Amino acid sequence: MTDNKTTHFGYETVAETEKQKKVGAVFHSVAQSYDVMNDVMSAGMHRLWKRFAVDISGVKPGDKVLDIAGGSGDLSRLFSQRTGETGKVILTDINASMLAVGRDRMIDAGLNVPATQCNAEKLPFPDNTFDCVIVAFGLRNMTHKDLALREMQRVLKVGGRLLVLEFSKVWQPLEKIYDAYSFKLLPLMGKLIAKDEASYRYLAESIRMHPDQATLKQMMQDAGFERVDYYNLTAGVVALHKGVKC
Amino acid sequence: MLKPALTSLMQHICAQNNWAKPYLITYAGKTLCMDFSIMKMPLQVLEDGSLSVAGETALADATVHIPPSLAIRLLAKDEAARQQIRIEGDTHLAADFAKVIQHMRWDAAEDVSRIIGDIPAQKISDFSQHSVKEIKHQLTNLAEMLAEYWQEEIPVLAKKRQVETFNASVDTLVSDVDRLEKRADKLSQKLQQESPR
Repeated sequence: MTDNKTTHFGYETVAETEKQKKVGAVFHSVAQSYDVMNDVMSAGMHRLWKRFAVDISGVKPGDKVLDIAGGSGDLSRLFSQRTGETGKVILTDINASMLAVGRDRMIDAGLNVPATQCNAEKLPFPDNTFDCVIVAFGLRNMTHKDLALREMQRVLKVGGRLLVLEFSKVWQPLEKIYDAYSFKLLPLMGKLIAKDEASYRYLAESIRMHPDQATLKQMMQDAGFERVDYYNLTAGVVALHKGVKC
Repeated sequence: MLKPALTSLMQHICAQNNWAKPYLITYAGKTLCMDFSIMKMPLQVLEDGSLSVAGETALADATVHIPPSLAIRLLAKDEAARQQIRIEGDTHLAADFAKVIQHMRWDAAEDVSRIIGDIPAQKISDFSQHSVKEIKHQLTNLAEMLAEYWQEEIPVLAKKRQVETFNASVDTLVSDVDRLEKRADKLSQKLQQESPR
């Protein structure tokens, strides 16, 4: 019955069961050059966006944080500085290659951050566990975003916050320049730096298919979050959504 | 880029003033909008008791209206100006927030000392504080001098005493006109009564 269900993979329409494999293949391919590409693509701004997300989180020493689709572990590292020795950060990713990069970095940095491979739509954690859940540049790739958001709500404690950092709808006057950058320059950079043009074409397409700021806000409210608000960063290239479990 | 920079600065100042967190944490999740007429700055109290810029769709729990002229007087530490601040919404939030902000200090010397060491940082800090105090003093002198010039030499500004005298004269004129009106009414009534039918 469910085999007939379809979803989007960039601009392609694929069977729901196929999307996870295709996204997996993209990230297996780019895992080693992921951070270099992020720096080149965003001119280093992704670090600023992530730091802002941590600033907005309200996480304090002793808190428990879940980093979903954490990949190379940038955010886990920043959060573990906030939670201190009394708190805990758990790094998760569905993709083994990306998680291996993050896990190795945490070990190299001497941080006690457990790495868990799991699907955000079926989180292997009990209800009311975390003070903060963050998903940065990961929700876009999930097949059932509504399911994933409900799972995140489930594992949060009452008063806990969900932060979603994701590409979004850019300020209208900049749309043409942004389109030219995304569909011409981005695949070219992917080809030259990561030797993978197709993955970066998927990145541009998946950004366009992702819900805009207001839609994602509504989706978070539908998943049971309250006081949902968002911040447009770099003219809306990226938006940081924050919701509270009440 | 302004929001991350402002939030980062506010969090840095909050971290230097850790005493403020227990006061602010009771208002976690609340939004306070500073309305300077020419610009609005919505601020949010975070769950750890620090401050950040509020999001795009945040609704203010309290709004503090400070027009630019009042802001200048507040910066000059004019006590009377505080009475003229207008607050809408949650007045407890606005009052407690104002108390905390008033006592928060940015320890710039501490930040600079990490780069150039304690002693030069303290000397720079002392020099900056002294300079700011001197500039403020000179600006106040200049403002007083200009006010005096415009009141005495080229009278384009009225003195407080002159405004009060003018207001009193207007009050007297109003009551005189009232009396005259009543008298005229009485006379016209008398004339009507005496006129042949």
